[in-house]
Amino acid sequence: MKRSVFGGLAVLALLAVAGGAAFFYAPAERTMGLIQRIFYLHAPSGMTALVAFLICFIGNLGYVFSRKEHWDWLGVSSAEVGLVFCSVVLVTGPIWAHPVWGVWWAWDARLTLTAVLWLLYVSYLLLRTLTEEPGRRALASAVYGIFAFLDVPLVYMSIRWWRTQHPQPVVFGGRGSGLEPRMRLAMFVFWAALLALMTFLIWLRYRLEALRASAAAVRREAE
Amino acid sequence: MSLLSDTLVLLGKELRTEFRSRELLTTTIVFVLIVLVLFSFVFDPTSAESRRFGPGLLWLAFLFAASLMLQPCFLREQANDTLSALRLAVRDPFAIFLAKLCANTFFLLLAELLLTPIFAVLYGVPVLRVFPSLLLVFLLGSLGVSTAGTALSAISAHARMRELLLPLLLLPILTPVLIASTEATAGLLASEPATRWEWLGFLGAFDVVFLAALWLFGEYLLEE
Amino acid sequence: MKNLSSVFAAYLLGWAIFFGYCVSVGVRLRSLGDEIERLKKQLKSK
Repeated sequence: MKRSVFGGLAVLALLAVAGGAAFFYAPAERTMGLIQRIFYLHAPSGMTALVAFLICFIGNLGYVFSRKEHWDWLGVSSAEVGLVFCSVVLVTGPIWAHPVWGVWWAWDARLTLTAVLWLLYVSYLLLRTLTEEPGRRALASAVYGIFAFLDVPLVYMSIRWWRTQHPQPVVFGGRGSGLEPRMRLAMFVFWAALLALMTFLIWLRYRLEALRASAAAVRREAE
Repeated sequence: MSLLSDTLVLLGKELRTEFRSRELLTTTIVFVLIVLVLFSFVFDPTSAESRRFGPGLLWLAFLFAASLMLQPCFLREQANDTLSALRLAVRDPFAIFLAKLCANTFFLLLAELLLTPIFAVLYGVPVLRVFPSLLLVFLLGSLGVSTAGTALSAISAHARMRELLLPLLLLPILTPVLIASTEATAGLLASEPATRWEWLGFLGAFDVVFLAALWLFGEYLLEE
Repeated sequence: MKNLSSVFAAYLLGWAIFFGYCVSVGVRLRSLGDEIERLKKQLKSK
């Protein structure tokens, strides 16, 4: 319990620094003004989600080749946390789009990719919920997770190409395009803080899975 | 090579099983027909709009049909536990997957070819002049759908609600196939037909990636 | 300040999502921990 409190406080401190960077250090954007500051939460959340899904992929591979359950715990924890970060992207996106463009949603390439990512990993969790036997659940979801992650670059490329042939207003600006150095630094600071948050959340969720395993063992003893 | 001979034997079995009853093929074709007709109520099928929306609607219909058609793939092996027999019969478990995905690709392709003339008539789209290239698009797209679909059919075979789960797992994964096939088909059905090679190459890449993934990881799905 | 409410809403919702998830995992951790303690006591008393 002590470790989680200390870890949580450390993450909060990092996030406070990041918030300061985003709101006070980074200069105001020329055309959009204040609303652009949502970018510092929106874009790095997307990048962090991808990192979490990469960790999930590693967990999936680990399980398939070793069949040790702690890889499965890593897989489900990072998939859930990745989904949380995806949700933040999908919530902050429309809030940014609406005042600037008057629409709540634009089928801009990054937002579309995030929506598909969200669906892919929600399906991962649903597959797990619907597969009852623990060994089969771990194996089926591990193989599905591998397929899903291999699909991600293909999804990204196809959406990008499709968007260049059917252009839409690029609502959220190309990543890093026209970013002043101070803005870029603020974005990286925010990303570092979010990566720390991601690590903390995955660690928490992993402990929950581990605890579930020991609870099952103790329950079996008690019977 | 034993993989090839095992696959051909199993492929023969899959084809014979289906052509004995033809129920999978008939239900798939009727389903796509229904979807195409229903779409025409939602979109006014005058020439200009058909040409814009037609390819997308066609591939959506194919995807929905495929996600239903792929369900019996591994489920029918559960009834009499024929999967264990199959596993004992072959040296490389990949032969089982290869046979099933070839059969699925074939059935899907057959359904698509039977439906294309009807689609051409209903939506007023010229397909005859681009038929060879269209066949290539259908082949590469169907291969992608079948490869992912066969894998996911095995993955969801032991889950609850598997009839609903397979489409749920399959459709997001097939996003690249939907986009690429639609774009390639749209290029061919435009007033100035053009073969969009980059999309065909992309479909080929998708097929290779998923085939390789199935080869590497498929055998784990067949474990007891 | 134009759009202050939007910026505020975006960050508030974002943190709410993170915090909500954190709390949900924490609650489940605590209740599982309690159950394990209870079961262990049961085993000891046997």
